[in-house]
Amino acid sequence: MAATTDARPERTAQVRIHLTTRSDDIQLPETGPILVPTELRRYQLSTLVNRLLETTQPVPLEFLINGQFLRTSLDEFLTQNGISAETTVNVEYVRALIPPLHVASY
Amino acid sequence: NTHISQEEVDTQMTLDDAQQLWAKHEDNTRNLALMLTEHLRLILHPTQATRMRGDFRTGKRLNIKRIIPYIASSYKRDKIWMRRSVPTKRSYQVMLAIDDSKSMAENSSHELAFETLALIAKSMSMLEVGELSVVGFGDQVNVAHDFSTPFTTDAGSRILQQFTFSQSRTNVQRLLTESIEHFRAARLKAAGSASDLWQLQLIISDGICEDHPAIRQLIRQAHEERIMVVFIVVDPAALSSNAANGAKQSILDLQTAEFAKDASGEMQLKMTKYLDTFPFRYYLIVRDVQDLPGVLAGALRQWFAETVDASG
Ligand SMILES: [Mg+2]
Repeated sequence: MAATTDARPERTAQVRIHLTTRSDDIQLPETGPILVPTELRRYQLSTLVNRLLETTQPVPLEFLINGQFLRTSLDEFLTQNGISAETTVNVEYVRALIPPLHVASY
Repeated sequence: NTHISQEEVDTQMTLDDAQQLWAKHEDNTRNLALMLTEHLRLILHPTQATRMRGDFRTGKRLNIKRIIPYIASSYKRDKIWMRRSVPTKRSYQVMLAIDDSKSMAENSSHELAFETLALIAKSMSMLEVGELSVVGFGDQVNVAHDFSTPFTTDAGSRILQQFTFSQSRTNVQRLLTESIEHFRAARLKAAGSASDLWQLQLIISDGICEDHPAIRQLIRQAHEERIMVVFIVVDPAALSSNAANGAKQSILDLQTAEFAKDASGEMQLKMTKYLDTFPFRYYLIVRDVQDLPGVLAGALRQWFAETVDASG
C-alpha cells in the first residue's frame, strides 16, 4: 500500500462527505456533512458509520460513490474519477455481503 | 454561459454582466452600507478625547518611564514631560480576501460573499479613511484590486469579473503568507507615519480550510506585524435549509472525523465539532447580509479596544 499519509501540500487532504443509505435498519440519525481525511478507506469509513449508529455488534459495510464501490482510499477514488475535494461527496453505504479479505488494512 | 447562477460558476463574466451584478448588489445593500458606515465612523475615527502623551521638556505631567533614564544620563535626557495631545489622523488599509474556491459555489455562498463585498467596499469608500484592496484566493492568490487604486463602481464590477468560484483548493496558508507580504509592501508605500497606519484583513469564505495549527501560527505572525485578521464565515445554509437531501449543511453542524493512535498504539476514531479547532480568533458567522453591519462593527470595536490598550 502506498503511503498516503505523507505530507503532500499541493493536495487537499480532507473532504466533506454526506453519508446515506437505502436500508431503513441502518439509517443514520439526521447528520450534516462530516469532514474526513481523504486517506480513509472502506474499513475506517465502516468504523465511522458504526460509531454514528452506536452499534454494539459492528455491522460490516461497503461504500459507494456515484454507484461505484470504494476499493481504494477516498483520495485515489476522487482523483481517478475527477471529483473535486471542494464539493460535498455523497457516500452511500450498504451491508457488506461477503466478508472483506483484509479487515484491518490501515 | 456567462451568467452567475446557483449552479457551478466557472466561466468569467462579461463586463456587462458584471456591471449589472454589481449594481444589483449595491442596490440590495444601500441602506445597510449607510448603517455600517455610521458604525464604522464611530469606531474608526480617532476619539476626540485628548490624552497625555509624549516626551517634552515642559508639560503637565511627568512621564514616569523617562525618570530613570533622566537620572542615569546625569539629567541630560530631560524630555520627561507629557502634554495633552491632539489625536492624529489615522489611516487604514483594509484588505478584503474572498474565497474563490469551488466549495463557495455549493451553498450559493458566493452570492452572499459578493453581497458582503459590495456592502463593505461601499462603506469603506464612503468613510474615506483609507485604502482598500481585494484579493481572491483558492489554490492561488490573485490581487483583484490594489491598495493604490481608488474604489469606484467600475472597480466593483471589474473585481466581480475576476471571480469564478472554481479553484480546486482552499489554501488559507498561502493566502495569509502572501497577504502579510502585501501588507508589508503597502505599509512601506503608505504616506505619513507608519504608526498611524492600521491594517485590517477581512476574509470572506465558507470557512472550510485545513491544517488549522499552521494557520494559527500565521495569524500570530500577522498579529505581531500589527495586521488584524477577521474571518467572516458566510453560511447561507443555516438559513435556507433547502440543501440536497435535506441535509444540514451549516458549518455549525459540521463534524470532523479523524483517526489517531491512542496511548496503546491502537487506531482510534475521534470526532470533533469543526469549529472547535477553527484557528481564527476573531470570526463571525453571517447567514444573512442584513446581520453583517452589526456583527462586523462588534468585532471591529473589540479589536480597536484591544489595539488601543496594547499601544497604551
Ligand atoms: Mg473551499
